[in-house]
Amino acid sequence: MDKNSKLSVVTKGFLKENPVFVLVLGTCPTIAVTTGLVGAVSMGLAATAVLICSNLVISLLRNIIPDKVRIPCFIVIIAGFVTLVQMLMHAYLPDLYELLGIYLALITVNCIILGRAEMFASKNRPLDSVLDGLGMGLGFTIALICMALIREVFGKGQIWGVDIPFLKDHTIGFLTKSPGGFLVFGLLIALSTVIAAKQGKPAPKLGCAQCPQAGICRSAGVTDDDCAKTEGGND
Amino acid sequence: MKELLIILMSSVLVDNYVLSKTLGICPFLGVSKKIDQAVGMGIAVIFVMIMATAATWPVQVYLLDPNGLGYLQTIVFILVIAALVQFIEIVLKKFIPGLHKALGVYLPLITTNCAVLGVTIDNFGNHSVGGEIITGLNFGQSLVYAAGSGLGFLLAMVLFSGVRSRIDGPTTPKVFRGLPVTLIAASVVSLAFLGFGGIIDNLFK
Amino acid sequence: MKRSFSWSSIIVLSVICLVMSGLLAVVNGITAPVIKKAEDAKANGALAEVLPGGTGFEELDISEYTLPSSITGVYRADGGHVFKTSVTGYSSGLQIMIGVNGAGEVTGTKVLSSSETLGAENTYGATTVGQTVATIDGLDTVAGATKTSTAFRQAVKDSLNASIILGGGTVDLRTPEEILKDSIAEVLPAAAGKDFEKVFLVEDLGEIKNVYKVGTDGYVVEFDGAYAGISNDGTVGVNNTTLSSDKLSAVPAILEASVLTDVDISGLEISDKITSVQKTASGNYVFMLKASGFGINGDAEYGISGLPIIVKTSVSADGVILDCLTVEQHESDGIGSVCENADYYSKYAGRTEGTLDDIQIAGATYTANGYRTAVSKVFEAVRKLKEAGK
Repeated sequence: MDKNSKLSVVTKGFLKENPVFVLVLGTCPTIAVTTGLVGAVSMGLAATAVLICSNLVISLLRNIIPDKVRIPCFIVIIAGFVTLVQMLMHAYLPDLYELLGIYLALITVNCIILGRAEMFASKNRPLDSVLDGLGMGLGFTIALICMALIREVFGKGQIWGVDIPFLKDHTIGFLTKSPGGFLVFGLLIALSTVIAAKQGKPAPKLGCAQCPQAGICRSAGVTDDDCAKTEGGND
Repeated sequence: MKELLIILMSSVLVDNYVLSKTLGICPFLGVSKKIDQAVGMGIAVIFVMIMATAATWPVQVYLLDPNGLGYLQTIVFILVIAALVQFIEIVLKKFIPGLHKALGVYLPLITTNCAVLGVTIDNFGNHSVGGEIITGLNFGQSLVYAAGSGLGFLLAMVLFSGVRSRIDGPTTPKVFRGLPVTLIAASVVSLAFLGFGGIIDNLFK
Repeated sequence: MKRSFSWSSIIVLSVICLVMSGLLAVVNGITAPVIKKAEDAKANGALAEVLPGGTGFEELDISEYTLPSSITGVYRADGGHVFKTSVTGYSSGLQIMIGVNGAGEVTGTKVLSSSETLGAENTYGATTVGQTVATIDGLDTVAGATKTSTAFRQAVKDSLNASIILGGGTVDLRTPEEILKDSIAEVLPAAAGKDFEKVFLVEDLGEIKNVYKVGTDGYVVEFDGAYAGISNDGTVGVNNTTLSSDKLSAVPAILEASVLTDVDISGLEISDKITSVQKTASGNYVFMLKASGFGINGDAEYGISGLPIIVKTSVSADGVILDCLTVEQHESDGIGSVCENADYYSKYAGRTEGTLDDIQIAGATYTANGYRTAVSKVFEAVRKLKEAGK
């Protein structure tokens, strides 16, 4: 790969293949921890760290791990790195550790990470996998920041915990609660649909294709059609 | 008894895993289009949540904590849940094929459902019961909490599948069709659940 | 092919698990002390909260001291001590941190963990600030949360006592029951370790307020907080009281000689609280009473038993209550049920008509009022019985 394509491995995650807005993966933390920028950035960076480490290790072991047990192996590796990040944050960033609470441990089951392990790291060389992890992690962080910016500014009248004049006295309180999370996420996905339509690409839909469990889903009789498939393209 | 009832009611209505804690969103959005699938998934989640709690609570209390291995919680829990789901599937297939036919297909989906891992970890977290904060539920309370969380999941799935069947029609603006309108509908259902906020404290006063 | 595949799968998965666990163990070795230190610093903040101005907190080894059993930890600071206590209120596991300064006053309390139902412990703490070991018993319990506030007060009292012990003083940590048991064993050595029961007095023994019968070995009498032992034949053992031996040696004979005969109360206009009357040869009366406490008069919303409190009381011919005993009660557990404790009903002994008003139970007004009303009916009954020549 030349230098350009290496760069594109990193940057594709930012917008073109943004894991949240285009691939629609990792919806749970996207709604749960984006009530403020502090939580969003720390969650994004924690997940990025896990993603880079797990991608690296899985890529290094890609020829050793038998196909049959690859998902359990990936999960153990990811859970290990999540615990590592948890311990380090508990020790050195206790406030953020308290803030993220259970969602930190739940990075383990964030489908972005398992998805990248399955889709990319297990098929590519270590350096590329690290770059992919970095790009996807930062893309995830960017998405969380977008969500948190809207919710914190209009929901709390603050930005990074600092009061904004006027808005502070005119907050839309429900944006900081879970319904607000669903709403803002829905609106941002709609925006992403508009952009995709302009570029002549299919609209984002729930990340079944990227999900390592897609095969199981289909065998369960849940088709892509069930997975919130947009009808926009058919009109 | 009252304490258990409070735990059950608040995990179903107030701290609903999907609508309030926003965990388990993927199956909530993905498998809620048809009501029979929603019910199947919901029942399977209740089942796995209770079994996973029954398995992980003793592991944490009798195996990890006494040996100072509390830090292995995440890694051990996810493995226990994965193994448990496999085991349940094999047992169901062999002994209760009828149930396996109904639920079996949903079981593997649940392995990496964050609501299941969330419940098993939350059992050791802080819970507000009648104005008191309890850190770490006992075994019985944990099972009730798991059952309540699963019921809450089922309730959310069933309600939402009812809502969804009406929203995605030709009158929906084009850019909102599909996922965006689904999320906005989820927001409205979640808003309804926000109304349960103070109910438990007043119900059991 | 499938089999060999499985073996390598299992080995690889196991190796990955082991390596990850090992890695975590190493990192845990590095971070655990840091986390512990941060949590200790946080805990020290809590220590300073209950002992404002205290500095240089240092944990003491409590196994080196004989402290009340509720004390689970002690921190010594420049300004006083902080005690960690664990007591049982409405449910077990009420953990309270209590600061006591050098002058033996409570400086602050903090509930560390609690499964109490009403949350009374969170407000009760403020009322204990400034209390000393001399004043703590006078602190009222919280109505409706008697168990919680009593447990809280016990924790504070234990902490105050512990602070005296740590300051080099001595405190009698025995409960009233233990003191009684030890005293009985002292004055009647044959009775040591044996069961004893309080004798329901139907005869006027003058200054003697309590008599305990120890199996077949004899009696122990209590007067003014001191005890004397008497064998069945009237031989006086150890006598710590100021009573004369003659008076003491007569006690067994008086007690054994008293015979009760039933009195027919039909036709007499006495209170319906009185269910039956007996009379001694010496002219004293024994009444069985039916008191309407919370079980009868209480608010049905809170669940009432519908059953009365059964009280037995003896009254001398000149209208002095000789003894009183709660035979049966169905009052609210932990609140009205206090009426079955000896330190409640024994307050009636020695009282005369019109002097009962101060006998109360904090938080159990229905129980105390019903009990007192029933007992107060005996004085009129005694007059009418005497008029009727019965």
